[in-house]
Amino acid sequence: MSRAEVLVVEDDIVMRGVLMLALRSHGYEARPDACGQEALDEVALRPPDVMLLDLGLPDMDGVDVAASVRDGHALPIIVLSARGDEQQQIRALDHGADDYVTKPFREGELMARIRAALRRPSQVKQPDLKLGDLTIDPIERRVFVRNREVRLTPTEFKLLHILARQPGRIYTHEQIMSEVWDAEERRQIHNLRVYMRLLRNKIESDPARPARIVTALGVGYRLVCRTPKKATTK
Amino acid sequence: MTRISNELRDYFQAIAWVVGTMALSYLAEPHARPADHAMIQVLAIVLLAARFSVRVSLTACFVSILAFDFVFVEPRFAFAWGDVESAVIFAAMLVVAAVTSSLNQKLRRAAFRAERGYELNVELSRGDDPQQLAAVTAKHLESLFGGTCSVILQDGQNRLSVPANLSDPALVTRAWERREFSVHGSLVLLPLLGSKSPIGLIVLHARRAFAKDSEQGHFLSACASQLVLALERLQLVKAVHRSQLEAETERLRSSLLSAVSHDLKTPLSSIIAAGTTLCDSGAQLESNARQDLLTSMVSEAERLNRLLENLLYFARLESSTIELNRIPESIEEVVHSAVERFQGRLEGRRVELDLPDDLPLISGEALLLEQVLLNLLENAARYAGRSATIFISARERKGLLSVRVADDGPGILESERGKVFEKFYRGNHSNRTDGGVGLGLTICRAIVEAHGGRIRASARAGGGALIEFTLPLAELPQIVREAS
Repeated sequence: MSRAEVLVVEDDIVMRGVLMLALRSHGYEARPDACGQEALDEVALRPPDVMLLDLGLPDMDGVDVAASVRDGHALPIIVLSARGDEQQQIRALDHGADDYVTKPFREGELMARIRAALRRPSQVKQPDLKLGDLTIDPIERRVFVRNREVRLTPTEFKLLHILARQPGRIYTHEQIMSEVWDAEERRQIHNLRVYMRLLRNKIESDPARPARIVTALGVGYRLVCRTPKKATTK
Repeated sequence: MTRISNELRDYFQAIAWVVGTMALSYLAEPHARPADHAMIQVLAIVLLAARFSVRVSLTACFVSILAFDFVFVEPRFAFAWGDVESAVIFAAMLVVAAVTSSLNQKLRRAAFRAERGYELNVELSRGDDPQQLAAVTAKHLESLFGGTCSVILQDGQNRLSVPANLSDPALVTRAWERREFSVHGSLVLLPLLGSKSPIGLIVLHARRAFAKDSEQGHFLSACASQLVLALERLQLVKAVHRSQLEAETERLRSSLLSAVSHDLKTPLSSIIAAGTTLCDSGAQLESNARQDLLTSMVSEAERLNRLLENLLYFARLESSTIELNRIPESIEEVVHSAVERFQGRLEGRRVELDLPDDLPLISGEALLLEQVLLNLLENAARYAGRSATIFISARERKGLLSVRVADDGPGILESERGKVFEKFYRGNHSNRTDGGVGLGLTICRAIVEAHGGRIRASARAGGGALIEFTLPLAELPQIVREAS
């Protein structure tokens, strides 16, 4: 298999250099772009496998770049943004970005997100979603944790199924609610909170330390595809 | 009406007094000489004059003279003007009555004014708003002089805005511009002159006209100076308050600056030192030494980042226009997120969570609340020691959600518990090299209070520090649960 290509769209020269270095050392083919227009041209010409997109670009709004790319391409977009910019992160996610990493970040965190993003497409095709020891049968609407069936209500199943479509991807509150509830109920985020708690109580081995459904505080939720380890601190 | 009936009553009382004295004198006649009767009458007149007005006293005096003449002067029981001696007595009685009563009236007026002046002073000392003081004075002057009175204060641009309903705006303007006390018939205009600049103007439409130099004029001036004093006192208090505030702000700014510059510089110095070592002599270093330098660079940079995050929250909360983006949130999600983010810094410390399944949702901004928990975790980890256990629990209490973060470390001294939330305060256990500016708990308090909650420090049962804060619950419609 040829090396995965990562397009780095970042205007800060030092950050861009560090990212290129890190990506290459992890075996990726990395290509740099310093502004939004360059990135759009590059994607049209030679679409990469994944795109790292800084939201604070000099020439255009990063959210618009994400939206334009999403218009014609399925490639995963991981947004880089500063803490405190949650509203912009949410906008980017709602307009086509798949994930975000908050600056400053550790290299390991970014690489994990890139790996997850690259893994996704192959998994969507499976009829049976197998995520570590969690198995979802979308046709029969059944869920198994460590081979034991867990009974979910229709809403709980819908929530889990949405998150399981692309494990690792962040779904914003708005994205989830718009699929599960009608227009009236959609505005009522407490529904989401309550059902998410019920769902976690059923599928987490330790609901006090959720390891399958992870909260992206103020933004949304993601399903993590890993075998939950024993909690280290308790 | 009451004035007239009061005066009539005074006349009757005075005449009854005269008649009574006369009767007494008449009964005592066998034992007294005519001069004694005269003395008794003079005494009666003096007593009368001390009690009644000049008019009443003089009237009573006339009645007394007539009665004396009728009863005691030969020929008796007839009005006849007798000798020179009687005439002298009568004249003396009149003079005594006139002098005593007018002296008395003066005294009474002075006492009245002193009393009203005192009342005004008391009211002025209670006020804390210039307009209120002006209104109090105007009301007072109306009750003293009758008629209507307004006290106009100049505005911030040293201008006097004359109300449109005043009868003679031209006169008012002139009196203000010339800064002079002027009387135009019943209209009295008196500028209020402060020690440095004019303050305002008293406009009095008195019921009875009076001259500038009259007693009323002097009294009005006295009232005006009382008002001026009170107004200047207010200005002074305000100026003192302002300068105290400025000094406090300045003190905070400089302590923030020194704390921040110290705490920014320390990790920065370590990073630069480690980085230059690696640059200059990285090749000669053993690989684990190189690794140590790199690790310390990363942890110092992360420390800088935490400090900056707190400073940014601090700046946001300090600006008065802060608006929270509050939605229903579940506290366990916030706690989990905070604990997850803090995982890397636990270094062997344990975290025990006690979050019941059925906690109500709260109304808040999740990232701010996460910052509260991060700061509390940071504090617990910093002060409770390497082998500490940190306990986080939440319960619904009295319609609020109460969150407790405790540790089994040395705890917070009782005398310090109130102070730990103050800006840049650091407890006895802290030292200057641990990477905080003493801002963490201040930010916790600012965030909790911005949510309408309370935060306090106390002792954990069994030893250690306990910080408890409350948050308002989210208002929720009933949620219908489905069956599996």
